[in-house]
Amino acid sequence: MTNWLNRGLGFAVPLLIALLVSAVVLLAIGENPLDTFSLMLTEAFGSPRRLASTLSAATPLLFTAIGTAICFRAGVFNVGADGAFLIGGLAAVVAGFSLPAELGWALAPICLAIGAIFGAAWLFIPGWLLAKLEVDEVVSTLMLNFIAAAITGYLVNGPFLSAQSGNNVTPLVHEAAELSRLMPPATLHSGFLIALAILAAYAFWTRRTSAGLEGAWVGLNRRFSRVVGVSVQRTIILAMVLSGVVAGLGGAAHGLGQLHRFTDGFSAGYGFTGMAVALLGRNTPLGMLIGSILFGALASAGTTIQLFSNIPLDLVNIIQGIVMIFAVIELGRITIRRRSKT
Amino acid sequence: MIEQVLAAGVVLTTPILLAAIGGLVNRQAGIVNIALEGKMLVGAFVAVIVSAATGSWLVATLAAALVSMVIGWGFALTITRLGANMITAGLGLNVLAAGAIGFLMSIIYGSSGTLRLPEVALLPHVFPQSVEAVPLLGPMLANLDPLTIFAVLLIAVLPFLLRATRFGLWIRATGNAAPVVRSVGLKPKLMQEASTAFAGFLSGLAGAQLALASIGIFNEGLTAGRGFIALAAFYFGRDRPWQTAAACLLFGLLDAAQIRMQTVGLPPRLIGALPYLMVLVALVITQMRSLRRAQ
Repeated sequence: MTNWLNRGLGFAVPLLIALLVSAVVLLAIGENPLDTFSLMLTEAFGSPRRLASTLSAATPLLFTAIGTAICFRAGVFNVGADGAFLIGGLAAVVAGFSLPAELGWALAPICLAIGAIFGAAWLFIPGWLLAKLEVDEVVSTLMLNFIAAAITGYLVNGPFLSAQSGNNVTPLVHEAAELSRLMPPATLHSGFLIALAILAAYAFWTRRTSAGLEGAWVGLNRRFSRVVGVSVQRTIILAMVLSGVVAGLGGAAHGLGQLHRFTDGFSAGYGFTGMAVALLGRNTPLGMLIGSILFGALASAGTTIQLFSNIPLDLVNIIQGIVMIFAVIELGRITIRRRSKT
Repeated sequence: MIEQVLAAGVVLTTPILLAAIGGLVNRQAGIVNIALEGKMLVGAFVAVIVSAATGSWLVATLAAALVSMVIGWGFALTITRLGANMITAGLGLNVLAAGAIGFLMSIIYGSSGTLRLPEVALLPHVFPQSVEAVPLLGPMLANLDPLTIFAVLLIAVLPFLLRATRFGLWIRATGNAAPVVRSVGLKPKLMQEASTAFAGFLSGLAGAQLALASIGIFNEGLTAGRGFIALAAFYFGRDRPWQTAAACLLFGLLDAAQIRMQTVGLPPRLIGALPYLMVLVALVITQMRSLRRAQ
């Protein structure tokens, strides 16, 4: 019971701080915070169409959050989901327009798999460097994010530039490679279902498989894991590679389902928002589901609110930033509590 | 052409160098400061506003540094007193700073992205324009602003400050052995807060230089990852002042040469990634060496 309470508090406290600060900010510019928040709620969940756009905005976040959580619970501080998202997204989109369209229904799964493989290969680099050479993973994944942005930015303006439509975009993928829209005309696509399936797989992996258990052990106590015969090196590399698979799939789904192409600025900081979601949800499946929907709601309601009132969309960033700063405060408490129990 | 690259390179080095000095002192005290970028952006924003309001580059620069210092101090408190994780809190502060600035810009100035204010006082040039006649270094000397000179002086005395002064010793001791610092009656948390405030102060200066060196216009993308380049520089220089400065100069020159290399056909986006790649390679080499030594 206390565990649930703790997690609930860990979820609520950073959010409450963020809401409080944004309420003060809204008061300062002469807006009624309660009106604004209820307007945001209506805009995010008020109708099936709005709900669809909220879930659509939540989809990439759910992918990057799961990818980050896989590493966090193994004690690997991977901040590189954004890079894997970009690399996987570009790889899948390139496959989506350059493979023959005659592949038909098989094309989309092939493209998704290619995205996952590229994402996995991308995060294998820092995983291997951490496991074999003890290269600090925060710095390596952070640097790899910038490198991924540079490589994809170069490719989308160079070799893969669309001949028809100006600059910064690739050609559209074949229709067969597109993920189906669930509720047209909303952009919600079957990538959301894939994300849910991965979330279920993540829940199963963490609770019912030995690899998942070993991951948690390595995260809690590396020395203990080594003593009981868990290969710490293998677990670290596995966590990074799985994280890359999920984040790469996320990029692939975003490219094939949402945009149907790759653009410069493909990821609007999804890797970092996903990290906030993973922290907020304490790496738990339910927590991350709620967290990603919440941030998806913020993003989609924020856009409409900016249109109809004079509240800038930047409020969403203020909320996200505060959540990220304060999300981890409780994290320290949880590990201490766990340690005292075992 | 070399003169121009050198002149532009030195101007581009200064903000990276200032932020990197702050970051390396901060890291010596045991805090990896990922929020240099956000604090630089705040510094640039404050500098442009204050410069337009007062017409004084000096007041603007000091205001930028002080605001960033206060933010740095508050940021340190969440880490030292509330147990926030320094990496996520740092990334969060970057998001928060960008969000808050964007918010203020559209509420107060009704503009999105770019802020143009009338009569922004730019940084003065230290030497009279006649030094341009000096061979090779001429354009560089003519462009020198006070903050660049400050950065160079600071990096020159920093090894001494860290090695031979009491405060430098406390900082390094905090990063290396916090329990020892505590056992002799000093407060390691206070040291960390002070060093983070110092990093904030210098990031603010860096932002001011970025905004007031030549254009006097604020833009949301003004820092363009320079805070992370600074991070790359002090990782590359392994927290040693002069090596870090050398890395900063290299990255600054690279930035200046980038525009010219474009005409030769090298893609600028890929060149822009070089500092990050170099850090990665440098980290790998360092680790390989230290592992071999350990065997």
